[in-house]
Amino acid sequence: MTMPSHAGPVLPVLAEGAGKRYRRGWALGPTSLAIPGNRVVALVGPNGAGKSTLMGLITGLLRPTAGSIAVFGDRPNGRGLHPAVSYLAQQKPLYAQLTVAETLTFGARTNPTWDQRYASYLIEQAGVPITAKVGTLSGGQRTRVALALALGKRPRLLLLDEPLADLDPLAREAVLGALMTEAKSQGITVVLSSHVLAELEGVCDHLVLLHRGQILLAGGVNLLSANGTPLGELVLHHMRAAAAQETAA
Amino acid sequence: MIWASFRLQRVQLLTLLGVLVVGAGVLVLLRSNMVDAITSAQLTQCAARGGSACASDAQNVFLADWSNLFQIARILIIVMPILIGVFIGAPLFAQELENGTHVLAFTQSVSRTRWMLSKLVVALVPALVVVVVLQYLVWWWLTAAGTLGPRVNGAWNPVNFGIDHVSPIAYTLFAFALGAFIGVVSRRTLVAMTAAFGVFVAVRFVLVGQVNRFVPSERRVAVDAPAARDGGLQVGSGWLDAAGLEVPRARSLAVSDACRTAPSGTPPGQEEFLACMRESGLMNSYALVLPESSAWLAHLYDAAIFGGFAVLLLAGTVWALRRQS
Repeated sequence: MTMPSHAGPVLPVLAEGAGKRYRRGWALGPTSLAIPGNRVVALVGPNGAGKSTLMGLITGLLRPTAGSIAVFGDRPNGRGLHPAVSYLAQQKPLYAQLTVAETLTFGARTNPTWDQRYASYLIEQAGVPITAKVGTLSGGQRTRVALALALGKRPRLLLLDEPLADLDPLAREAVLGALMTEAKSQGITVVLSSHVLAELEGVCDHLVLLHRGQILLAGGVNLLSANGTPLGELVLHHMRAAAAQETAA
Repeated sequence: MIWASFRLQRVQLLTLLGVLVVGAGVLVLLRSNMVDAITSAQLTQCAARGGSACASDAQNVFLADWSNLFQIARILIIVMPILIGVFIGAPLFAQELENGTHVLAFTQSVSRTRWMLSKLVVALVPALVVVVVLQYLVWWWLTAAGTLGPRVNGAWNPVNFGIDHVSPIAYTLFAFALGAFIGVVSRRTLVAMTAAFGVFVAVRFVLVGQVNRFVPSERRVAVDAPAARDGGLQVGSGWLDAAGLEVPRARSLAVSDACRTAPSGTPPGQEEFLACMRESGLMNSYALVLPESSAWLAHLYDAAIFGGFAVLLLAGTVWALRRQS
């Protein structure tokens, strides 16, 4: 891990007033946020809250219109993703005409840090036929392949945009289980976004709550619910307060 | 990345390979069959010199057998650029943008520029090779037909011009770049294919023969050389006075109208007409001709125009793809 000249390890994500504005308004208002290492972060908020925009800024797919963002100390740019970062977009894009094995070869050819044995192991664990065309796989299998592609890069930060959205409950459990096993054993910081907190409540230890492009709540789960309030209630409370404020204003 | 580009272009590359192998084989066979046909019909002299050396019966039989094939081969070379633009250039980026797979490519440890360049090179270079090889083979075949083939119409014939020299390469570059650019801007494969087709056809039609005006013409006086018999292209005509100067068009028209309506009422013969013209000081008619030997210059201008468009479109494609939204 790269060490800065002053103190401590470099944060996976450090946003300082970073925001993204389109013609119709701010998709994500100027946001300051630190994501510490070795955490499982739930990025929660209703649809349109700015979750995907925040991920876009972290990956460098989007350029901030305000402020700055640093990923392991580097500014994201168009020159490919930071080698220590993997990203799985919401649509889980994969080349449908490639086989699973060819998809892994694609990962190997486009990432210097690729671990072929590890990626093959993940495919094997998922029980996905390696010779199958990606276009013929089920939603759950596709997610597992996309996850193997993301993890095979050996990232230290893994960004997953709504990874469970289009999965049935069984596949959801399997994907989440596999993901948490790998995150814990490899010491990866994982950021998962969802509009349903309940999906992530059991697995996350850090919460970022977004609402209409603003951060309502951010911090470690143990600190946020220190007084024993369940996380779900806490989130609902803040959302209601934000809604009430809007109606008042 | 090169591996990935090859793998993702596999269908197009195999199609190109098939076109190359089958096309080249067929052209070589056709040429050798045609050479045999010319020899056996004793048309060798006719093919070499044309005109009086041709026995009309044998020539007609030969043309009935071969002229359609000549046309098909020429049309193939004419349409290859747009086929490449529509089926290889247009989907190249549009398909990725439509399916969202560009996000997959952009979030690996490969720069966008490298991704883009490897895709462009892997798609474009094989297509250009196929165009060049087939163009050469068609030219080789039609040259063997001599005056019996369409090359007798000269290098300025619009179809001959379109399949000659560097023009097919320039058209291919333009069509490919046009398809790629519209694909990146529209992000829709079908839109890109359709629009690239329409725009290419329109531009190609509008610009046919436009470069000819940049080629210097020769003035040929009618009595010296009958125009356009040697493959030259006549681009203008008029009359010269006794001093050898060009007579203004309005005057020469007025005089020739007057000479055509002879006072006797009967239309004058050719000699009478010319004599009448000379009386009014219009000594000789002339033609402005682009000699066949300077067709290469028009090809270079043509290539500069279409190649220039292609470079601009490719630069636009690169710019649009590199831009972080």
